[in-house]
Amino acid sequence: MARKPAHVVFTNSFSTDYTGGVKEFDIEATTLRGVIKALDERYPGLGEYLEEETTVAIDGELFEVGYSQPVRPGCEIFFIPKIEGG
Amino acid sequence: MAKHHVTATLNGNDVEFLCETHQTLLDVLRDDLHLTGSKEGCGSGDCGACSVTLDGRLICACLMLGVEAQGKSIETIEGMAVGDKLHPLQRKFLEHAALQCGICTPGFLIASRSLLERNPDPTEEEVRFWLAGNLCRCTGYHKIVEAVLDAAREMRGA
Amino acid sequence: MDTATNYSEKKLKIIGTSPVRPDGVPKVTGLAQYGADFSLPGMLWGKILRSPHAHARIRSIDTSKALALRGVKAVLTSADLPEQKFEYVGPERIAVNFWHMTRNIMAREKVLYEGHAVAAVAATTSAIAEEALRLIEVDYEVLPHVIDVDQAMQPDAPLLFEDMITRGIVPAPKQASNISKRVEFKIGDLEAGFAAADEIVEASFKTAAVHQGYIEPQACLARFDADGQGEVWSSSQGHFIVRTFTTRLLGMKTGDLRCHAAEIGGAFGGKTVVYVEPVAVALSRKSGHPVKIMMSREDVFKATGPTSGASMTIKIGVKRDGKIVAAEGLFKYQAGAFPGSPVMNGCMCGFAPYDIANVRTVGYDVVCNRPKSVAYRAPGSPISAFAVESTIDMAASKIGMDPLQFRLMNAAKPGTPTVYGPKLAHHGFSETIEALMQHPAYKAPLGKNQGRGSACGYWFNGGGESSATVHVNEDGSVVVATGSPDIGGSRASMALMAAETLGIDYDKVRPIIADTNSIGYTQGTGGSRVTYATGLAVINACNKVIAVLRARAALIWNIDVEDVIWEDGSARPAGKRAGEFEPLPLKAIAAKRSVTGGPISASESLNAGGQAPGFAVQFCDVEVDPETGHVKILRFVAAQDVGRAIHRAYVEGQIQGGVVQGIGWALNEEYIYDQAGHLSNAGFLDYRIPVASDVPMIDTILVEVPNPNHPFGVKGVAEANIVPPMAAIANAINNAIGRRMTELPMSPPKVLAALDAGN
Repeated sequence: MARKPAHVVFTNSFSTDYTGGVKEFDIEATTLRGVIKALDERYPGLGEYLEEETTVAIDGELFEVGYSQPVRPGCEIFFIPKIEGG
Repeated sequence: MAKHHVTATLNGNDVEFLCETHQTLLDVLRDDLHLTGSKEGCGSGDCGACSVTLDGRLICACLMLGVEAQGKSIETIEGMAVGDKLHPLQRKFLEHAALQCGICTPGFLIASRSLLERNPDPTEEEVRFWLAGNLCRCTGYHKIVEAVLDAAREMRGA
Repeated sequence: MDTATNYSEKKLKIIGTSPVRPDGVPKVTGLAQYGADFSLPGMLWGKILRSPHAHARIRSIDTSKALALRGVKAVLTSADLPEQKFEYVGPERIAVNFWHMTRNIMAREKVLYEGHAVAAVAATTSAIAEEALRLIEVDYEVLPHVIDVDQAMQPDAPLLFEDMITRGIVPAPKQASNISKRVEFKIGDLEAGFAAADEIVEASFKTAAVHQGYIEPQACLARFDADGQGEVWSSSQGHFIVRTFTTRLLGMKTGDLRCHAAEIGGAFGGKTVVYVEPVAVALSRKSGHPVKIMMSREDVFKATGPTSGASMTIKIGVKRDGKIVAAEGLFKYQAGAFPGSPVMNGCMCGFAPYDIANVRTVGYDVVCNRPKSVAYRAPGSPISAFAVESTIDMAASKIGMDPLQFRLMNAAKPGTPTVYGPKLAHHGFSETIEALMQHPAYKAPLGKNQGRGSACGYWFNGGGESSATVHVNEDGSVVVATGSPDIGGSRASMALMAAETLGIDYDKVRPIIADTNSIGYTQGTGGSRVTYATGLAVINACNKVIAVLRARAALIWNIDVEDVIWEDGSARPAGKRAGEFEPLPLKAIAAKRSVTGGPISASESLNAGGQAPGFAVQFCDVEVDPETGHVKILRFVAAQDVGRAIHRAYVEGQIQGGVVQGIGWALNEEYIYDQAGHLSNAGFLDYRIPVASDVPMIDTILVEVPNPNHPFGVKGVAEANIVPPMAAIANAINNAIGRRMTELPMSPPKVLAALDAGN
């Protein structure tokens, strides 16, 4: 039985800067590491950017980008600019 | 230029020090007498973080020169507790969480004690206006005012 | 057998109480040591020379006379610091560019604001250092300057960086400008959304730069030894940040600088960067002596980051039944002399409290001849909220709906998409609006010239990297060490969480903040992240200690560890061995540590996620004096979803403090510049922050909708409360006198002008 892929979405400026405007992807992976690797294969160099400069929201919950972060089938993943407070 | 020799009373003890003409009392307290409880927040008498009492009068130590302390009696935050017994104001500030970063706290304690010496039963408004010379950026003054009113109650034996 | 890690169902013993903070007595007796309170034998006094000009090229700097002055041991200019590569590194929202940073610490080719550091000296006395500054000769070529954000965006504006090409625009512009970046966020179809609206409201707003206003100026003591090892004591929100930035700026190895977190006299985001530390370390390196630097209040205003002033336009489309169908926001923020305003945050947070299908926010980060902006409590969000929440109020008024009811109707819920993409995952906003509406005073009658206004606000809240170590003393007391500087009372919260987890008395726990050599890496204190993320590290470390304690008890009793539980501060036999032995409290196990395996301690380092955002909803009553334009705050009620209040009184204190900062921002605070680009009000007399007689008691409503991702349900509380006050007050003024104030601060002359103009 096929595992439902994760749905990865970039915000506008990400897509303009890194993926030529493509904003949404379906990626097969069980961990965030797998997601980043798949994206980096498609757009070389994107992986490092995602690791260093983004926070990730998985089904709305915010997490720091971590390799072992589990990715459930069919979940929605947003990479958003990293947070800072005061 | 030779320094000035000053003798004074500090927190009930005899003290003597040498200071330059331009040094404020705050400079002397912090840098020469190593009492860093009085803080410099502005150096211009606007924030009250350096509040001390001079012959019983509430002043900003940054607005007075060290030489002017000659023969005077100065009380700083370091003299507020007696041994390990905190002043009621100190206790109430802790109980009421009336400090967050605490930098303004010594100034507020000295200023509040000065108020209660003159007016042991102040209204909230009187507390706020008396303490208008002390700036706090963390607490919004709410718990400070509550602590002062509560300490006043205890000190009156009410 | 796993020890329970989620306590939200259990009855909590001390979480939620308000015990005296563990670092309290030194603070009320004047013994606590802040950045300026340290000294070392042989210490020198460091002072910094600053530019008198808003914008000028530096032709030359002659330090020879200063060096020759008796008592001067070192003079520093940018020539003593290594050049840095020009590249934006790290998170896009606050991308750090060390090429900019080194120039902010010490100017190179140009000075970009009045107060910009140009040189520094270290001398045997403070007076000699001051005199030495006067002897440094700087040859300036004064250039035209620009202060206002709209003016800085004009095509003919003086340029701060002749090669600045706006990032975020495709294709890139050919001409340089002062616009460092453009950002845009969009969901849905704006045209269709506005077309479907029954009413459209549009308004423009301007805010002024305001300073965090911490009472303690930046200060530090630094030491650099001949073996290349350095040490710094400074007031900072992140001593690991101090280490990272200082070593990078000086070309040192990261591990060669040991940084201590002094007690800190207020920060609010303004101390998440460095100013004096690299200068002090460099002077110490040059002179061979420890160096102490303390900024003056004037320097703090002129040369440390305030937050941005801004120019904004908001457009909202609503249906007559109250549903918001479209929203658009344009946000132009001043970055100050170097790029990096919080405009992206403003774009992301402004409409975040609402469920709107069609939203677009556009932001510009604009440089101008002012000090570089730095984070100020929920950076960026209070600014955009002033504009958005004022416009929301106007929209509610246009359709004749109660403003809080209007917000409740459109409130974001779990599943609501944000303009930056992810769907909201946490409850709490609607509950907070409802709690506020139920406050008895919300319906209280008002008198002449009095008005009521409400507003809400959103802040992301942070997670991130934290470390904690817990060790058990021989007498059963416990030390909890973290790497999070305490800016609001977090040591008390750490002690509460540790005591609750271990089941011991609060006063048996000693929380400390360890230096960068003594604790694992920890991100700065800010973003309302400490109680959440560092708290998690503490709880996890305590649970590791509990596992050890259970194993020791099992050894003592000679039974299987699976048959040992930890409950109420003691190991107890359970399962098939239940009741066979008397419980062993922590103290007893500690006494037997030697024969059972040695000292008992555990560490946890983590990169926390799963934090919940902060929602604040507030209303206030004001009275406007029609003769003077003075606005008096009669009542202020602030509700906030706090998840779970660990230390109740400190949570209230955070809300009260943020609200009063907001009141100052709303009514009085602003940077005032003269024609020459000089700051006219660089002191507390004329930069008027609220005093005790300006404000009433602040009523707080703590709404507890626990965050299921944290064992105690914690949500960050420190920042969201400063987001609504400015709009709440503007809305109240409008309610009182029928005038819509669109510029901050709403100081007496402005209110009077609005009254007179009958606008």
